[in-house]
Amino acid sequence: MWFEFKVAWRFLKSGKTQSILILLGIAIGVSVQVFLGSLIGGLQQDLITQTVGSSPHITLLSEDQIPRPLITGMDGSGRIITFTGKDEGINRWQLLVDFLQQFPDITAVSPMIDGSGFAIRGEKTLPVLLRGVDIKNVDKIYELVDSVEEGKSNVSGNNILLGTEMAKELKLDINDVIQLKTSKGITDRFIVNGIFDLGSKDINNSWIFLSRQRAENFLNSRDKVSSIELQVNDVFTSNIIADQIVSSYSDIKAESWQRNNQSLLTALESQSSSSLVIQVFIIIAVTLGIASVLAVSVVQKSRQIGILKAMGTEKKRIGLIFLIEGALLGFSGAIIGAAFGVGLSKLFVNLVRNSAGEPLFPIQTDTVFILISISIATFAGMIAALIPARNSAKLKPVEVIRGV
Amino acid sequence: MSDNIIDVKDLVKVYGSEVGNKVLRGLSFQIKKGEFISIIGPSGSGKSTLLNILGALDSPTNGKVMIKGEEIGSLSDSKQANFRNRNMGFVFQFHHLLPEFTALENVLIPSWIMDNKQSKEGESNLQRARQLLSLVGLSVFEDKIITKLSGGQKQRVAIARSLMNKPGIVYADEPTGNLDSETTDKIYELLRDINKELNTTFILVTHDRYLAARADRTIEIVDGKIRV
Repeated sequence: MWFEFKVAWRFLKSGKTQSILILLGIAIGVSVQVFLGSLIGGLQQDLITQTVGSSPHITLLSEDQIPRPLITGMDGSGRIITFTGKDEGINRWQLLVDFLQQFPDITAVSPMIDGSGFAIRGEKTLPVLLRGVDIKNVDKIYELVDSVEEGKSNVSGNNILLGTEMAKELKLDINDVIQLKTSKGITDRFIVNGIFDLGSKDINNSWIFLSRQRAENFLNSRDKVSSIELQVNDVFTSNIIADQIVSSYSDIKAESWQRNNQSLLTALESQSSSSLVIQVFIIIAVTLGIASVLAVSVVQKSRQIGILKAMGTEKKRIGLIFLIEGALLGFSGAIIGAAFGVGLSKLFVNLVRNSAGEPLFPIQTDTVFILISISIATFAGMIAALIPARNSAKLKPVEVIRGV
Repeated sequence: MSDNIIDVKDLVKVYGSEVGNKVLRGLSFQIKKGEFISIIGPSGSGKSTLLNILGALDSPTNGKVMIKGEEIGSLSDSKQANFRNRNMGFVFQFHHLLPEFTALENVLIPSWIMDNKQSKEGESNLQRARQLLSLVGLSVFEDKIITKLSGGQKQRVAIARSLMNKPGIVYADEPTGNLDSETTDKIYELLRDINKELNTTFILVTHDRYLAARADRTIEIVDGKIRV
């Protein structure tokens, strides 16, 4: 290999302009590939973070009370009993929470007591969602404590947290008193302890957090929770974990974010495959570029090839010289291109900013992806060298030596 | 076993399928080890073709060419290549050096082809290449790129290269063809010295009758046959 490598290197060096031009071509191809891959990777990661970063990955609810036959007769007929929705909610939820905490992949468990109601201040009335929570648990999912813009995040006693939109709408400030009314007509007065911004106008306009203990009697939901919200380590395992829970608790319904956002995931997948198609065409263009340069090089170096053969170099070793040339071009072009692509990504993150001066979204430069790009380009270089290498093997030394 | 290093019997070479293209029409001769042979003949007589066949660069249509007891025509491509590398040195009319390499590297190339690993022998190869360059009087040009050398200098590098792997036979095809008469004399003297010192067999193709006459023996080829 040493001899072939040395000759390959000298051949490339002697055709400097040609080598530099094709290196640039490969570098541009690979840099577009790396940039595109990083851009799309970052974009997708950002979209997923936005979708599930600060929200539950799995929501556990009680199974809908579906009509089912109570007694089945010999002929398959039976009387059908329908439960009303009065008893909705998860019973014995503490056991379920203990069970969930055994999963190493579940990172946050937050039992919630939810109820609809109204917030009333003076003449104004707003429909709201009352959410009884433990701040410590719910914070792991919604990052609630950090989202509090004014005041604190204390929900003990009659303290509540509400969103920025609602505060604006009802002209509320910290420590103001607000009247809440449940759907069952129970009314009480609460104190605004904090005003949060969870990044969604809807939530900021309708959610009110209070302590679960307070919600238990205010919403009359003793020994029951409406739902248990979960976050998991790897967001793409939400379906698997949801199914595992359901298989142990048949009266529980588990909604995963993956099933609820099927259309988003499909969009992401088709985006990935279209970026893959672009990358494949870039590789093909790079391969053709290397192949054409090497084909010309075989013709240019035919005299040298003939001399090397006359001095006893075997055919396959001559072919190897061109394979090495291809690999060298592919590899070094890819290294330059990868560096360029990463630089381009960094530049993009720094230049393209929103009005607040923050990067629009993070670009992910994935080392594994870059290494794969480099090896593919190197491999493409060798594939491109195959035909020129075969042509070089066919060259007869006599024909070369006879002429000048 | 005879002491003939080359034994040619009824050698025929036809180019293409047409009968008219018979270049060599049945040659037979022997060459002893250490002989300095010149092959002469008008252009088109087939002397270069003969040299190419003797050098295993071309294959005979008919007949046998035995070199060191080996029938080279029957060897596979890669065996022929190895045989050339170990047993033969070539000096061509147009030197045929690699312009991508320095003078010293060009001399080393046959050893690179033979010993790919560049082991301990690499060092002794380097010494030998330096000795050969000083033998042809080019020590000062070791690291010069080939294109910077004059015609005579290039030809002397080519001679040094042909001796690198200590071959038994050196083929030279019009080595002085495009050199002036003074340089021609020097090159001839050089080849003669090497022939005597290393007992290397030399086969020199030329159309210079004066040069040919100074060889141990002359084989004259006319119309594809040896003229006796």
